[in-house]
Amino acid sequence: MKTMMAMITTVAIAAGSSFAPTSLRAQENNAETLSAVMERGVLRIGVLGAFKPWAFRAQDGTLQGIEVDLAKRVAESLGVEAELVEVTSANRIQFLEQKRIDLIIGGMYDTASRREVVGIIEPGYWASGPSLMAREGAIESWDDVAGKPICAKQGVIYNQLIETDFGARLMAFAGNAEGKEALRSGKCVAWFYDDSSIAADLATGDWEGFEMPVDALFVNPWAAAVPIAEKDGAFGKILSGLIYGWHEDGTLIGLQEEYDLQSTAWLANMHDSFAYDRTFLAD
Amino acid sequence: MLEFTAPLFLALQQTTGLNFSPFFDEYDLGRLMTGVQTSLLLILCVLAVSLVVGLLGAAAQRSRFWVLRFLVATYIAVFRNTPPVVQLLFFYFGLGAFTPQVDMGGWYEPMISSFGWAVIALGIFGGSYNVEIFRAGIEAVPKATSEATEALAFSPMQTFVHVTMPLALRFSLPALASNLISLAKTTSIAYVIAVPEMTYALSGVWNDRLNVGEMMTLLFVYYIAVVAIISVIMGQLEKRLSVPGLGK
Amino acid sequence: MTNAVSTTRTRSTVPILLGAALLLASLAIAYLATSHIAKGPDDSPLKVLGRWIPFILEGFTLNILMSVLAMILATVSGIGLGFLQISNAVIIRQPARFVTRVFRNSPWLVILFAIMLMVPFEITLPHFGTVMIPGWVKATIGFTLPVMANIAELLRGAVASIPTGQWESAESLAFSRMQTMRHVILPQCIRRMLPGWMNWFALLTLMTPIAAILGVNEALGNTQAAMESAGSSPDLLIPFYLFLMSIFFIFIYPVSVWTKRLERRFAAT
Repeated sequence: MKTMMAMITTVAIAAGSSFAPTSLRAQENNAETLSAVMERGVLRIGVLGAFKPWAFRAQDGTLQGIEVDLAKRVAESLGVEAELVEVTSANRIQFLEQKRIDLIIGGMYDTASRREVVGIIEPGYWASGPSLMAREGAIESWDDVAGKPICAKQGVIYNQLIETDFGARLMAFAGNAEGKEALRSGKCVAWFYDDSSIAADLATGDWEGFEMPVDALFVNPWAAAVPIAEKDGAFGKILSGLIYGWHEDGTLIGLQEEYDLQSTAWLANMHDSFAYDRTFLAD
Repeated sequence: MLEFTAPLFLALQQTTGLNFSPFFDEYDLGRLMTGVQTSLLLILCVLAVSLVVGLLGAAAQRSRFWVLRFLVATYIAVFRNTPPVVQLLFFYFGLGAFTPQVDMGGWYEPMISSFGWAVIALGIFGGSYNVEIFRAGIEAVPKATSEATEALAFSPMQTFVHVTMPLALRFSLPALASNLISLAKTTSIAYVIAVPEMTYALSGVWNDRLNVGEMMTLLFVYYIAVVAIISVIMGQLEKRLSVPGLGK
Repeated sequence: MTNAVSTTRTRSTVPILLGAALLLASLAIAYLATSHIAKGPDDSPLKVLGRWIPFILEGFTLNILMSVLAMILATVSGIGLGFLQISNAVIIRQPARFVTRVFRNSPWLVILFAIMLMVPFEITLPHFGTVMIPGWVKATIGFTLPVMANIAELLRGAVASIPTGQWESAESLAFSRMQTMRHVILPQCIRRMLPGWMNWFALLTLMTPIAAILGVNEALGNTQAAMESAGSSPDLLIPFYLFLMSIFFIFIYPVSVWTKRLERRFAAT
């Protein structure tokens, strides 16, 4: 038994060390992407594939959604064609590093660790955080979950919060579909997940009699990303300006309405704080 | 427990980077303990249900009514030839939708929990193998034995209960041991319906702490230990029940 | 005696009767599950299922692909491992037995998790550059390992079941250990291993849906995605899961029947 333990531990250590990510980033000048895109006449944007209503396949097979719309706007501003590349949350950063795409607009949280590997564009274009979906009237505040079974998805970074801070009994399922099915069939009193996703579900009309009764526990912006060397180069600055403009002129709030999503305080605040005071033009 | 293990495993983490968080973090220890308890209880219940189902099925297979025999044959065919994960999901989500809800004082919970469904589904799944094993055991009982009991004026029922079955059980033990072991391992798929057994508990830990390698090692060690325990128990049983002059 | 005759008869007619009965039963259950739906005719769960059948079957091809590939890999590596297990050298035999024991005694799901999470999703090869490893390929490796260990065990058991007299007589004919293995022992082992090997193929195929837990788009994953896209109405659950069970049944049941027949024939000889 002792030798077996030792062997297993060795295997585990070996496996653990193979985890260290191998980064292919090279030193490069900070205008490379922009000139390559202009030369090519094509901007390759990484978007998610099954992320309704931000990016999803429509009946005719084309990609559509809020982020797809934003991606097309970027290409239009640069005067180039948009090539949409379907990515997943597991490979989007690698695709960017390997230059398979020029830009990510793919539901990516802006976090400190991601800022170390990609050029996160400020400001964020959307924001979300953990919230609850429950039958109408079942839950009124976060404190109502104490002692009750709450469905969630395995591997979500904030799952622990609802157990440690609010005393809920977490039931985490492998996929969204099972977790929400469990809520619908009454196996738990609420579904604990991202408010953006819950808002999207409620918008489909399939969840009649359900609501999102509480505000998100915290709000984390979603950011577009370019290769890290380009963050402060021309390409990064153009994107910053574009996103600033989308907040300022109401493009993002307009998309939120167009896709029937519940309005969020974050987008409204961004719109207000970026609004440029043009009253001086009045006279 | 934590005060003994914490210094040791914290030191291990500092020197080697190996993060065995359940041995120094209270929350993770809680998850591990729940995992071990739930998993052992689940294995115990599933094995028990599978044995009862197996015995009932094997008895029904000897019935004079072809309908009963046909039902048992159908049950075996269905449960041995469809994926156990899908069976579990079918029971939990499909049939679970029709079970009554219980008022827990302000909110409702289903009468049969995910643990309950796991016991039912996996027990029935494992039972389908046990029926065949017991049947083979019964067939291995020499014909001369039942002829001898007839001479002793036993009724067919008496023969079955007092002579055939005890012998058949002994003949079934080796095959039974390997099926029970494989069933105990299969309980890990209760993960898909959020039963907080070992696989579920430790995957929760590695999702939060990113210590996949270490938790995976614990998981392998746990299941190897469980298998070892079951085979020791079955081995002892075989030794204690062995009849002189029969078998090897 | 009457008993023995009747069981034989039931057994031989059971396959055909069963197939028909199961088909009828699933149709009946699906009908019952749908009959109380008040929605429009296009929304009946059976119609919805009909629309998604191609998508689910597309996923099922991946289950078959994974199980066939894993079976090939497991057979080759399992026979190799089996030979290492019966090697004369302790230094080879012991590690081989250890590997066999670890993979035989661990649950499929745990091995699958280990492979999915610890193997990187891309590797850099000297001549090909960076190659992505799709999830289903990793899952295939994860399915290979337990089957490999069990085939190794099958081989060990089969070799052990050959009377030692055969080894001795081959030796007296001046056969080397390798030659004896190749020309005398193996041909007999293959026959003895066949039913067990087929059993493992069936078990493997029935385990492939657990890959859905790790995001592989096989039949179970596609079934769940289809139900969600179709509005995740609770009425869909029973017909969709029943359909999924039926396609596995239709594929695996003939394999089981054939395996049983082989087992009986080998037991008789």
